Amino acid sequence: MENTIPNAMRQPPWLKVGTYSFLLFWIVVAAFPLFWVVVMSFKLPVDAFASNPLEVLFGPNTQSEGEALSLIDLAVGGFFLVVAYQLPVRLAQPGLALFAPGGQRFMGGIFLGLAYLVILYVGFGFLLPGITAALEVVLGWIPLVGLLAKPLVGITLEHYYAVWIDNTFYEQFKNSIIVTVGVVTISLTVGTLAAYALSRTTSAIAFWLLIAALVFRALPHSVLVTGYMPVFIQSREFFQMLWDTPILGVVLSAFSETPPTLYGQPLAVIAVLVAINQPFTIWMLRSFFMTVPKDLDEAARIDGCSHFQAFRQVIMPVMWPGVITTGLFSFLLAYNDYLVTSLLLDNQSQTMVPAITQYFNRETTATDQIEAIAAAASITAPLFLLVMVFQKQIVSGLTAGAVKG
Amino acid sequence: MNRKTFYLFVGPSLIMMLVFIAAPLISVFIGSFYVTRSVYEDVTVESCTPGFTTQTCTTEVRRKPIIKDNGEVLTNTVFVGLDTYRTLLQPERVKRAFTQGQWLEPFRTIDFYKALRFTVMFTLITLPFVLVVGLSIAMAVNNCVRTLRGPIIFVSLLPFIITPVIGALSIRWLFIGDGLITRGLEQLTGQDISMFAQGWTIELLMLFYRVWHVAPFAFVIFYAGLQTVNQDTLDAATVDGASRWERLRYVIVPHLQPLIIFVTMIHLMDAYRVFEEVIGFSSEAHVISLQWLTFDYLTPDDSGNRAISRASASSMLTMVGIIIILIPVLRRTWREHRTGA
Amino acid sequence: MRKLTLAALLGSALVATGVQAECDFDNPEPVSILANSFEAWKVVTDAMAECGNFEAELDNEFRTKQPTAFASSPSLYEIGGVSNSTITPLLNRDLIRPLDDLVAKYGDQVRPAQLIKFDGEVKAVAMMINTQHLMYRTDIFDQLGLDVPTTWHEVLRAAETIREAGVVDYPLGGTFQTGWNLGEEFVNIYLGYGGEFFNSSEPAVNNDNGVKTLELMKALTEYMDPEYLVSDSTYVQQQFQQGKIAMANLWSSRAAAMNNEAESSVVGKVGMAAAPAVVDGGKPATTLWWDGIVIAKNLSDEAAENAFRVALEGLDEDMVRKHREVAAWLVPGYEPTPLAKGAIESVQGGAPSYPSRVEIGLMHTALGNNVADFLTGKQSAEATLRAIESDYRTAAEEQGLL
Repeated sequence: MENTIPNAMRQPPWLKVGTYSFLLFWIVVAAFPLFWVVVMSFKLPVDAFASNPLEVLFGPNTQSEGEALSLIDLAVGGFFLVVAYQLPVRLAQPGLALFAPGGQRFMGGIFLGLAYLVILYVGFGFLLPGITAALEVVLGWIPLVGLLAKPLVGITLEHYYAVWIDNTFYEQFKNSIIVTVGVVTISLTVGTLAAYALSRTTSAIAFWLLIAALVFRALPHSVLVTGYMPVFIQSREFFQMLWDTPILGVVLSAFSETPPTLYGQPLAVIAVLVAINQPFTIWMLRSFFMTVPKDLDEAARIDGCSHFQAFRQVIMPVMWPGVITTGLFSFLLAYNDYLVTSLLLDNQSQTMVPAITQYFNRETTATDQIEAIAAAASITAPLFLLVMVFQKQIVSGLTAGAVKG
Repeated sequence: MNRKTFYLFVGPSLIMMLVFIAAPLISVFIGSFYVTRSVYEDVTVESCTPGFTTQTCTTEVRRKPIIKDNGEVLTNTVFVGLDTYRTLLQPERVKRAFTQGQWLEPFRTIDFYKALRFTVMFTLITLPFVLVVGLSIAMAVNNCVRTLRGPIIFVSLLPFIITPVIGALSIRWLFIGDGLITRGLEQLTGQDISMFAQGWTIELLMLFYRVWHVAPFAFVIFYAGLQTVNQDTLDAATVDGASRWERLRYVIVPHLQPLIIFVTMIHLMDAYRVFEEVIGFSSEAHVISLQWLTFDYLTPDDSGNRAISRASASSMLTMVGIIIILIPVLRRTWREHRTGA
Repeated sequence: MRKLTLAALLGSALVATGVQAECDFDNPEPVSILANSFEAWKVVTDAMAECGNFEAELDNEFRTKQPTAFASSPSLYEIGGVSNSTITPLLNRDLIRPLDDLVAKYGDQVRPAQLIKFDGEVKAVAMMINTQHLMYRTDIFDQLGLDVPTTWHEVLRAAETIREAGVVDYPLGGTFQTGWNLGEEFVNIYLGYGGEFFNSSEPAVNNDNGVKTLELMKALTEYMDPEYLVSDSTYVQQQFQQGKIAMANLWSSRAAAMNNEAESSVVGKVGMAAAPAVVDGGKPATTLWWDGIVIAKNLSDEAAENAFRVALEGLDEDMVRKHREVAAWLVPGYEPTPLAKGAIESVQGGAPSYPSRVEIGLMHTALGNNVADFLTGKQSAEATLRAIESDYRTAAEEQGLL
């Protein structure tokens, strides 16, 4: 039968059933632990740690404390979520084309992202409660259908309130943004330069550099941190020597009278993370550059461009998919890092991930634990958005470049 | 590209790697041959501890490090050669165990070999699972209706992007004590199940977590690769009467070969660094990993003592291990370079 | 005109003090504290925060961070929260300020028994006693007609009765998490047997007392949740709150949680008693800990003085009156609640202080890493004790203690 229709993509029913049940299984496995974390973060401790999973899900105690969602809320909320997901997936590309004609894709992207956040805020903050309230009032009058408007799932925002407002988690959020943005931009700038050069030479030095980078990539980070600790703590004494030198010292003193302490400086941590991230960035970007034909920069050189001009004006414009994909991996590294940030940043400049382990370490009443879970869910939210927006780029980026090299 | 431009381009990156990776590495390497000891003196001190009504004061001889005038602790650093490595590797004990025919003894009792055993097994066992699960998801997604692909890819990526500490904890909560899944299993089997009571179940959870966390990465890479499979070749193979399995075996897998190597390489490097799992699943009593061992030596105890020399030595041994693992990749790169140059 | 402005100023000052409740002075400079994280530190730091300009970092990893943070100049935190063991690294590196002058100037409300002295100098001000002692479910004990056990062997017998009655999941809870917790349990019982850890700086645990300690610990684990090697104090506290265990030797700082209505299903049903002894009529087999504050040395005199005043605000009568159930306070004005009974009886029974000296840190680590091997049956008692001694010796040689 198959031979009559030479289509490799045609599937017999058993395969279809198998495929879909496997996918369903995988989706459940992939999403369930996170789903459960989110569910728990909205319940009072008594419910969250209840032994009956249905109690955790519906939260009877949380419900009796006041707030609860009805089926209508859930349905409308679900609809909003689908729209919120579809919006960037469908409109990101055309939107980008509309707002950022020509080379300003980066700025356009930022603008779109901000616009999306505003839409989310308005949608979930005002539209959603308004619509559901109206629907509940209307439908509540009709018998039977009115059951839909009955509160069903207990939900409380108090843990989020405690985390973000009482414990000023926004400070850590701000620190995370500083560190992450710093790492991504610097790492990409420095990395593209190096990767471009490495992709355009075959010299022995280039080869050994790549090998060294490979070994560096494999290093356990605790090894590096062993080396950093003393220098970071006593940086002031180290730098004092520079400040004491005759000419340089005068220049440096113009910036600050005493040498800085590196410990607790976001800039220092950014530098460390960029360095740790460099090997991977270089390898990945290099394989993207390999797919850009050399004729392109040779043509530009003949037109009288310098190497740097060729790089900037001819190569970079076709490199965006690669840069975005690599940037995403850098983002993940910086945002998720625990070991380096927890050891080298102090309380004031701490990012979210080490801050959350502090929640877990805190002498824990059950309420503290749920607050920790709420903080964990909060940390995950931006990652969620990120994947939503860039999902297409990840796949197309990988298809286009890195994975061939 | 001439040498000068090359260095201008590579310079910033190179400097960062030298300062923040190579330099600490060298200092750790040198440090592993030295031991820095504080110099202690015996002092007789009267110390008083509080009570509800009265204090109890005792006079005793204590050892106290000598403080220099500038406020730092007086230390002396001595070259000890390979002594620290010997402490870690305990060659005599290993030899004794081997001559007595107790081949597994060192892997059960000496920390370093315990960690080595787990790290290597962890790396090797998770690898095939990551590859197979990743490839299966990629094929399944590739075979499913186009409209569903986006959402499925989105959900599949979640375990990969989530902060590792949080991911490990989210799995731990499902299993620890009377966690949701433990309770479900107990009801199914009618037995009392304690996932955290014995080593092998914890190991199982750690393996599961790692596969859960990394398979999505393998999946995206493979999925990206599947988009570039030559459709004509596949059709031709079908015409020639190749079964589904044969098409997978002889067309798709060879096409994905470089990607499989890429994922393997990345996974070997990352799994060898296994650390979050030990913390997340508190497995210290049963299984430890090499990076955790270093971390443990670095963590000061209540009295503030850190075992820096042993930490340096164990990180150097960890390094040796990673280089051994990388040898095949390095050789392949070397060959390509030779033929390319 | 001038009078009017003065009155206005006074008025606003009064309003200000009204907002910043209960603080005797207006704190002009930023002050921060790094301390352990449990309920008592929360209420104390909250009281300090009333003075304004104050930030508290409460973190169980404080012992790792404190020495490095205090070593930088100026110190990253003005105040440190320490206990009798975690003060050792600060003392050894000379990072804390002698407080005699400040106590003389501001310490009217500090009792002499609160002052921690080393070598004649006041180095810390203690605020509370913390110790592990017996907590038990009074309702279960009444129902089964059990007496409150005074020795660990009675605990085992009671556990057997409770198990047979089948009223709870596990008769016993224990903070047996590998590492620090497990080491602490060994220290408690070993000292109860009258054991000595050191012979000068040489380790001396491989003896009868060591074997007896390990065997008792193993006997206890028979009655515990099989996941005892991952249960820390929080986990045991939750097991209590959820009614899953009937007895545990738990920290007195956890006692208040038993009566927290938002979390506990056993409010009013948990009794407190002295820690059990190992032999009839022996001393309670537990160690006493104190928690208190220190001031960093790398600070200007003004900053130190200011920080000390803020710190004392946290340790005043007011705070203790409001939170008398939270801990066994040492602060004047404290009236013990029934929850403090266990701690007080343990102190009166003559429980020893935790032996804070440089060596014990290394020994504690060695114990915490090795005892599990015996409990899981990987090693014999003697082999475990040998491994502990050899681990200790390696570490002590590396530190220069041997």
